[in-house]
Amino acid sequence: MEMVSWGVAAPAVSAAFVASLVEVVEAFTIVLAVGTLRGWRPAALGTFAALGVLALLIVVLGPLLDRVPLHLLQLVIGVLLLLFGMGWLRKAVLRSAGVIPLHDENAAFAAETEHLAEEARRKHTSLDWIAGIAAFKAVLLEGLEVVFIVIAVGAGRGLLWPASLGALAACVAVLVVGAVVHRPLSRVPENVLKFGVGVMLSAFVVFWTGEGLGVAWPGQDLVLFVFVAVFLATGIATATLLRRSAIETAR
Amino acid sequence: MTLLRDIANGLVGMFLADARLTGAILALVLIVAALTLAFDVEPLIGGAMLLVGCLLILVEAALREARRRGWS
Repeated sequence: MEMVSWGVAAPAVSAAFVASLVEVVEAFTIVLAVGTLRGWRPAALGTFAALGVLALLIVVLGPLLDRVPLHLLQLVIGVLLLLFGMGWLRKAVLRSAGVIPLHDENAAFAAETEHLAEEARRKHTSLDWIAGIAAFKAVLLEGLEVVFIVIAVGAGRGLLWPASLGALAACVAVLVVGAVVHRPLSRVPENVLKFGVGVMLSAFVVFWTGEGLGVAWPGQDLVLFVFVAVFLATGIATATLLRRSAIETAR
Repeated sequence: MTLLRDIANGLVGMFLADARLTGAILALVLIVAALTLAFDVEPLIGGAMLLVGCLLILVEAALREARRRGWS
């Protein structure tokens, strides 16, 4: 593992940590619903099966990244990450303005519990099986997003290991807190985190995509702070504009 | 099959939650790439276009979704 300075690794670690935190909290809610409803065996089986699939994907696809030319990697990942980051930022702006409701982990927990019971009634099949599949699907889907985030913020800049550590720290943090409180982590300010991650990802990506196109940014890495400030200001201004227009319409 | 379909939907949703946002971003990157790589436009100008374009796309996407939901 090549040594990198903390100054270089910190943005990747923190972006991976915060983004992964949001995803892991969502997966934890489903696994908790499964575990509470049917016990921890199907929940653990589904979770570990999904983690196994994720590990397999990383082992198979990870080495391929080293074979892709750096500029092409930056451009392709940059475009995918731009779609991902801007999508998050758009949704966070809309949630912040109140246009769409905030994600509620307690409601998600209740909905998943109800959904599992309904599925068992409708299909007349083993609830353990359905519960295990639900845990598998949740961990796999949210895990794929975590893997993508890690690759996106780490690949192409030699920061895969620091980004992976950031994601791993998020998993450990959610597991520890979740094991202690033993209920959905509804007090995690998910939209604030999504807003922050959307801003960071969008800023990173504009920077990297530009580099992929041969742009020599003035100030090099320092220009990232400017990009973060610009995306943050634009997101907050848009949310404020939407809130004000709603208030004026209501009058 | 439902499981695979759900996983595929989840993956597609990561990048295509808003088709117009996706299309606009792809178009922007293509235009900037064409200008800088094929038409020898100064890369820094291309980079500035990318930044400003992303900000405009973000604002438009948020305002459009708000209008669609009858927000204002």
